[in-house]
Amino acid sequence: MLGDIINPYHLQIISFILINIILGISIYITLSSGQLSLGNAGFMGIGAYTSALLTINFDLPIFLGIILGAVVAGVFGILIGIPALRLSGVYLAIATLGFGEVIRVIFVNWESITQGSIGLSGIPHLGRELFKTFKLTGFDPDMLGLKNNQFIYLLVVLILLLVNILLVWFFIRQNKSRVGRAFAAIKMDEKAAESMGINITYYKVLSFTQGAILAGFAGALYAHVMAYISPADFAYHRAIDILIFSIFGGSELIWGAIFGATFMTILPEALRFISDYRYMIYGVILIAMMAFRPQGIIDVSLLKWFKKKLKLKRGGSLGIGTKKYN
Amino acid sequence: MLLEQIINGITLGSIYAIVALGFTLVFGVLGIINMAHGEIFMIGAFIGVLITSVLGLPLWIAFIAAIGVTVILGYMLERIALRPLRGKQGVSHLAPLISTIGVSILLENLSHHIFGAGNHPFRHSFAQIQFQVGSITIYLVQILIFVISITLMVVLSYWLSKTKAGKALRATAENLETASLLGVNTKRTITTTVILASALGGIAGILVGMAFNSVNPQMGLSMGLKGLAIIILGGMGNVKGAMAGGLLLGLAETMIVAYGDSGYRDAIAFITIIFILLLRPQGIFGKNTAEAGR
Repeated sequence: MLGDIINPYHLQIISFILINIILGISIYITLSSGQLSLGNAGFMGIGAYTSALLTINFDLPIFLGIILGAVVAGVFGILIGIPALRLSGVYLAIATLGFGEVIRVIFVNWESITQGSIGLSGIPHLGRELFKTFKLTGFDPDMLGLKNNQFIYLLVVLILLLVNILLVWFFIRQNKSRVGRAFAAIKMDEKAAESMGINITYYKVLSFTQGAILAGFAGALYAHVMAYISPADFAYHRAIDILIFSIFGGSELIWGAIFGATFMTILPEALRFISDYRYMIYGVILIAMMAFRPQGIIDVSLLKWFKKKLKLKRGGSLGIGTKKYN
Repeated sequence: MLLEQIINGITLGSIYAIVALGFTLVFGVLGIINMAHGEIFMIGAFIGVLITSVLGLPLWIAFIAAIGVTVILGYMLERIALRPLRGKQGVSHLAPLISTIGVSILLENLSHHIFGAGNHPFRHSFAQIQFQVGSITIYLVQILIFVISITLMVVLSYWLSKTKAGKALRATAENLETASLLGVNTKRTITTTVILASALGGIAGILVGMAFNSVNPQMGLSMGLKGLAIIILGGMGNVKGAMAGGLLLGLAETMIVAYGDSGYRDAIAFITIIFILLLRPQGIFGKNTAEAGR
């Protein structure tokens, strides 16, 4: 029954969507304090290579590798974030773009460890390793009516989904907290925020580092889901992909990044014939979005309108007019 | 050996300087970074390939055609990607950057589709003509590139400092509102600037084709990033700084290929960006103002 519905190809796409959502959130979180970082592809690469190398060479458990990948990316985030505080706007974008390219060039040239542009293969697969543990406990996917590889991909999707829900929940909570309000204040007006007693240095480095950790985390997950990485995966085009998620979906709200990542991952898969023209369409989208809707598809007013609609509908179905109570 | 490397470096550097001039003009007047400049440069190089190798026409026609096409591209860039954002309420200052990134990936992939991914040779009749001065060899192409670059720089400097249009451009760069109050047609000046910058990019494209004898759709990106490094090195919006920065980067890259690890050649530009931005955000030749780096 379950085995007929589940298609490994669809599960694979869903797991890409979930990884891309983490990347989308990573650029959203730096943008939420008014900083545009184009170095997230570089942080993603650091996370991916760290975790892949640790698990391949030192037989580290995958979970430890992923966490260490995120931590190392975060350390780089702090190292870049503190000096980058002197920069803002366009200058920060260029410096982080330069950082991403330097990281890629290092991956290509440090052949003794990273295998150069050939890339790393044979990275332990998240689903397969988990499957082995399940097997040891005597569990058999046949009990659910699933084939082995269906079960493997399903495991990956479930883990990623859990991670995503936790992350989204965390960042929505954070947005409503002292930290989130400080980010918003810095984005609106740095000088005013400073004079209100907000420690700009701390919060800007915090948001930059959070972005780096998330990107590294997503990179590490990517490495263990793909089981193969090469420097080309973390080049300029990846940075553009990540930027598109947030710009297209909407950079004001976390839902924008989530929507953007989902839509932009499904689009080339759903429309196979346009996948050759994918980047051309991306280019047109960027130009058109900036000209017509610079805040992205999902913004605060759209969300409010949506909530209002939902309320009206619910109120109507119960036979209670909302006007009665006003 | 060293002298030959220096000549190679100066040839490369003078091309870099022309690319960087296009960046710096647009930044000086509009205060934005034109990420599409590298791709306009690449299109110029492809026009050169089409004219000289495919059609077999002489080089000077290639120059004229490349300038023509890039001028049109520059005009379209201004009308489609830049003008709609100007003076609009609530548009972040990052919007033009993102919109030119859009133009750049559009152009890159368009030429990828039209011309294919591989390298295209750039044939011209005097590729092998060379001179022997003492123990060093100089190619005619190198001299030609150097002369064309220097001529362009001199003409541009003269145009900027002496002519009415050049003064209007500098006034607009200084302060757009004041210039428009004083009777400068700022709209036209901005369009002129973007077109001029694109034409410089087109010329640089042909020069690179002549120097390296190979053209591919990816060259726009790396050249664009190097151009960015140069204007940051020389000071944003600073014309003389762009020239000097271009020569410096060209020499540095040639030296690391000759005496160091050639794999890291492309990293020099980016490492330079990071260090300059962190240590001296106004650039080596830039004035120290409170605005620098902001």
